[in-house]
This record gives sequence, structure tokens and C-alpha cells, in this order.
Amino acid sequence: MKNAFQFLTTKFVKFVIFCANFVAEYIAESKPLGGLLFLLPQIFNFENNGEAGSNRLDGTKELLKNVLAELEQILIHTNLPYPVYFAFEDDNINAVLADIKKSDITGQPATATTGGYKFVVSAPEPKSVVSPSITNIQGWLAGLKGGDDAHQLPTIAIVASYDTFGAAPALSVGSDSNGSGVVALLEVARLFSLLYSNPKTRGQYNLLFGLTSGGPYNYNGTRKWLRSFDQRLRESIDYAICIDSIGSWENELWIHVSKPPENAYIKQIMEDFSSVAEELGFNVNLKHKKINISNPRVAWEHEQFSRLRVTAATLSELSAARELLEKTGGLIDSRHFVDEKAIIRSVKLVAESLARHIYGHQGKNIQIFADNSNLAVNPYYVRAWLDVLSQTPRVAPFFSKDDPFVMALKKELEDHTDEVYVQREALDGMFTFYDSTRAKLNIYQVASVTFDLLLLLVLGSYLIVLFSFLVITTRGLDDLISLFRRPPSRKVKTA
Amino acid sequence: MTVFHFFNCAILTFGPHAVYYSATPLSEYDTLGTSIKAAVVYLATALVKLICLATFLKVSESDSFDPYQELLKALIGFIDVAGLYFALAQLTHRNISQNHKFQAVGLGWAFADSVLHRLAPLWVGARGLEFTWDYILQGLEANANLVLSISLAALGSLMWLRKNKPKTLIPIIYLCAGIVATMPSITSYLRRGLGWHFPKVVGFELFTSLVMAFISWQLFSACQRPSM
Repeated sequence: MKNAFQFLTTKFVKFVIFCANFVAEYIAESKPLGGLLFLLPQIFNFENNGEAGSNRLDGTKELLKNVLAELEQILIHTNLPYPVYFAFEDDNINAVLADIKKSDITGQPATATTGGYKFVVSAPEPKSVVSPSITNIQGWLAGLKGGDDAHQLPTIAIVASYDTFGAAPALSVGSDSNGSGVVALLEVARLFSLLYSNPKTRGQYNLLFGLTSGGPYNYNGTRKWLRSFDQRLRESIDYAICIDSIGSWENELWIHVSKPPENAYIKQIMEDFSSVAEELGFNVNLKHKKINISNPRVAWEHEQFSRLRVTAATLSELSAARELLEKTGGLIDSRHFVDEKAIIRSVKLVAESLARHIYGHQGKNIQIFADNSNLAVNPYYVRAWLDVLSQTPRVAPFFSKDDPFVMALKKELEDHTDEVYVQREALDGMFTFYDSTRAKLNIYQVASVTFDLLLLLVLGSYLIVLFSFLVITTRGLDDLISLFRRPPSRKVKTA
Repeated sequence: MTVFHFFNCAILTFGPHAVYYSATPLSEYDTLGTSIKAAVVYLATALVKLICLATFLKVSESDSFDPYQELLKALIGFIDVAGLYFALAQLTHRNISQNHKFQAVGLGWAFADSVLHRLAPLWVGARGLEFTWDYILQGLEANANLVLSISLAALGSLMWLRKNKPKTLIPIIYLCAGIVATMPSITSYLRRGLGWHFPKVVGFELFTSLVMAFISWQLFSACQRPSM
């Protein structure tokens, strides 16, 4: 299917940094367009690894981020009758844009030499994704069995959702939401697998690591995952820590809970975390949000646990809950805005706090995962996985059956845990997804029809002149004239 | 409207041949057979040239002007002249005057050249969406080529078919024939060695073709006088 449309000039993304409202109004006007093309700055291009845009001030970066976030939300929630495309600025398209702006200002119609452009997008006809699925990956690290049955040991769960959602699925790499969470989970798993590999240092807690899918859609995957547990396992979970966006914070983190803060377990969690945080030099704040069972909206991942009476909390840099489909790793969530140091500090926080609980070191200032030790947090591991995640769009319905990325996560967890189990379920039908997420845009410089007609006229007259010239020079002028006059009728002679 | 553009360029490239045939007395004397024979000879010549080029020429990576390679190409270009000689002198034609013979041969030669070199790029390229001036320039080049081919055929017929030429004019005839025959090398030198752009090269070709046509016409009429 080819979609050719007249490029909508001037107004757009160069100026969107100042007027997202303008865009909203423009879209609301419902003009009949062939399509809408957004040219994003190179800084959001995950295929471009270099420090593009480092010459810009951080102030404008922040402004740009906010404006684009607003724009993305407008696009997600508006019903648009025409397709919207996203592309990245480069010199060629900037030259074309400048050309078009010039001719738009002067109001000149397109001729051969002045900026007549035809934009053709060739993409297959979008079909709805048949039964989109979610894949949850869990890794089980068994604790030191005092007795006979491992399930008698209490369990601590560490969970992070790994999929994203955005206005452009092929650009939704979600470095912070929730690439940072996935990286933190993998690093914590690696550290504890080192500890648990030696029976002398194996704790008396089982550790359950969960990489869940379906995060943007009310944590649908987590729900299905929990419902697949058997009763004993669910009851053995002491508490669950969900990690959600810990990649770009400076001084404070939030722990969100739905059980009242007076709850013994919650108190315990807070004590562990805040004491470690204090030692590491930052704050951890508690935020309580009651859940409403009749409301289908699930704002945090721990709420899915709470609905099944499992104590859980979410560790996040966000202080307030998101709206549906907001901040789910879309257009603006690029690698450039994530600080791996923030992730490393978060890993230290989670690992030390868990270790305090598992090994009973509450109140003692012991650092198990100290820097420059065997168990130090590995910054290269963090950086490598963060880079991979920042280059992989991860919208759940578009993962194929044996998607290499999901298999890579599974393999990584297999390296760090004893047992890995992959659960594939259908995504609940809140939304319908349509494929065809990438396309190629061809821009042609074309000549108008008038040019062709003019050329035909010129050529026709040239050939006629040539013809006459040749006739005159080789046969004489009389012959040329005689071509246009019939010879005098011979009837006169015979009569 | 790009099939339209293809049509325009096609009539620019091939129209003059048809016009030439119908405008001059060639059509009255029904010299189509001669033209077709000349076209076939051109095809054979092109084949021989291709084989020689493939055998003797190195493929160079850069687009620069290599004098040795160009010299080789010019020598192979003389196979063209041999082919033209064959078409003029050796093929048996019906009784047509020398005047018309060279025109018919030149026409057939130029038509075959245009079809071989310009039809395929035109078909593939001019129907696309993107507009370039290239195909129009190529058409103008075809026109220049037509004039050059006819002049070369005229000079060729003077050299090989006319026995009684004024002695003074003979070196001029050979010189002009030499220049016209090496036109391809000259244009490729201009394009690669001096770095001229395509429009400039086409302009040069048109200009020289008219000049050479005029000179050969003068030579031809000069040689015609003694026999009268």
C-alpha cells in the first residue's frame, strides 16, 4: 500500500518545542490531510549511538522532553483519520524542508525546479495482531534447605516489567521505563546467585525473580503470573519488591505501598531500605495509595500482589502514579536521559536491603556488596544491558513467538538462577493492535503537469521546424507548400 | 504524469530520425532497406567493439581520466569507422545516388546507436517519479549524434566512394573524418578529465556537430563540382 501525501509544511516540529498546544489545536481542527510526519531530533534516535545533541543545553533538552511527552499523549488519545509517521532529522530532509518552507511562504505553485515534492510511504496494509500474547519469565533461586522441602522456606520476590508502549511502537525502547528496572533486576540476580552458589553463604530465603510483560496495560502479565502460582507458593512469599523506573533520579527514591504503613512487613521493608539509603547518602520516602478493587485501573505493579493479599511495594523514582499509557517508555524515553550511576545506586540499595533481611543484619552497618569487592555492583554489566535494552523496542503484542530478545532474557536468568520458567498467555483484550510499525519514506522531486505539457509543445514545434527546414533545403520551398495544398483536381482535364 | 515524460523524451530522442527520413527525398526513393542494413552493421560493430573492450581494457575503480585507457578506447573506436566503411562500400545497394546513400547509411547508423544506448535508460528511468533533466539532455545528445553520424557518413563516402577528388581537399577530408570519429573520446575526456557537467558536454556536442556538418557539407559540394 502506498500512501502519497502532500507534505504539511512550515508549522511542524521545528516549532513544536514552543507550541504543543498548537499541534493539539491543529489536530482537533480535523483538516483533511494525507498524513502527518513528525521530524524528531537525532537525540531520540536509538540507532544513533553517538552523543548527538550534546551541544544543546540541558534546559532545552528538558523542555523538548516535556513538549514531546505531551505531544505523544495527545496522539495516543486522539482519534486521527490519517496516518502519523515519525522520522529523524538529518541534513537531507532538512534541506527538503527548507525548500518547501520557502515555496510555501511565497505561495508559488510547484514547478520543475522549485520544490515540488511527492512523499510516498510504502508500508504493508496494517492488519490487526491476532491474539497478542504476553510472556512472563521467572527465575527461582532456592535458599538453604534446613529441613526437607524448599517451599517451607519463605520467599522474597523481585519483579520488574520489561515491556513498553508508545505512540510509535518501533521507537518505544523505554530506557527508563522500565529498561532501568530490568537491568537492576538482572544485576541483583547476578549478585545473589554469586552469594547463593556457596552453601555457606546461601540465605534461608528463596528468591523469586520475575520479568513480567503487559506492564502498560494495567500490569496484566503480573496478574496472570500471580494467578498461576499455587497456594503454597503464594503464601510463602514474605514480600515482593517491584522495581519501576530507577534510571534518572538524583537524591530520593519512593517506595509505594498499598497496605497501610502500620503493617509489620511494610515497616520492616522501610526500615531495611531507609537504613541502607542513609548509609549510601540519599532518601527513601514511603507513599501509601489505597487500592480500589472495583476499579480496573492498576497504577503500580505491587497492587496486583496486594489484590491477592501478598505484601508488596514498588521502588520508583516517580512520586505519583501514572495515568493509563502515560510514561510507559515511549518516544522520549531514550538512553541519553538515563544515568547508569542512578541504576547502580539503586541496585546497591535493593541488594543490601534484601541481604540485611535475609541474613538478619538489621541495625548493623555491614556492607556485603561493597565496592572493590568480589560482590561489587558491576558497572559494565549494567551499562551493557542498558545499551541493549535501549536499542530494542519492546511493545508486547509485537514480539514474535520465539523473539530473540525474550529468549536472551530467559538465558540470562538461567545463568543466575536454578530454575527458569517461561509463561505465555494471551493479553486481555483491552486494546486491538495493528502491525506495520516500520515503513520507508521516499521523497521525490517531481515536475508539474504543466511542465510536461510545455515540453511537449516545445518538442512538437522543434520537430515541425526541423521538418520544414529539411524539406526546404533538400526539396525546395515549393514542395513544402504543396504538402499543404491538394493538387488541382484533374476532373477539369477529362471533362 | 511520468509516462508522459517518457513519451516526451522518446520523441526528442527518436523523432528527428523519423522526421529526417520523411522530410528529405529519402522517403521518395524508398531507401529504408539501406537504413536497416546500416543498422544491422552497426549492431555487429557494437558487438565486436564490446568484445575488444572486454578483452583489452582494465576496469578502473576511480572515475578519473586515464590516458592510456582512453587511447585504447579511441583505437577500438576506429572499429566504428571500419563498420561504416563496410556499410557504405561493401554492401550492395540498389541504384541510389551517392548523395542519398550516405544519408541513408548515416541515418540507420544513428538510429541504431540511439536505440542501443538510449532506449533502455529511458524506459527504466524516465517513467519514475523523480524528475531529472538527464533524459532531456540525453535526447539532445541523440540529436547531435544524428548530425555527427550523417557528417561522418558523408566524409566516409567522399573518402571511399568518390574517386576523383581535388588533391588539395584530401587532407582536410581525412582530418575532419578523424575529428568526427574521435568525438566519443573527446567527450569522455571533457567529462572525466576536465570535469564538465552533462549539460555543458551536450552543448559542446551540439555545437561541434553543427560545425562539422557545415564543414562536411561544404567539402561535399566542393567535391561535387568537378563531376558536374
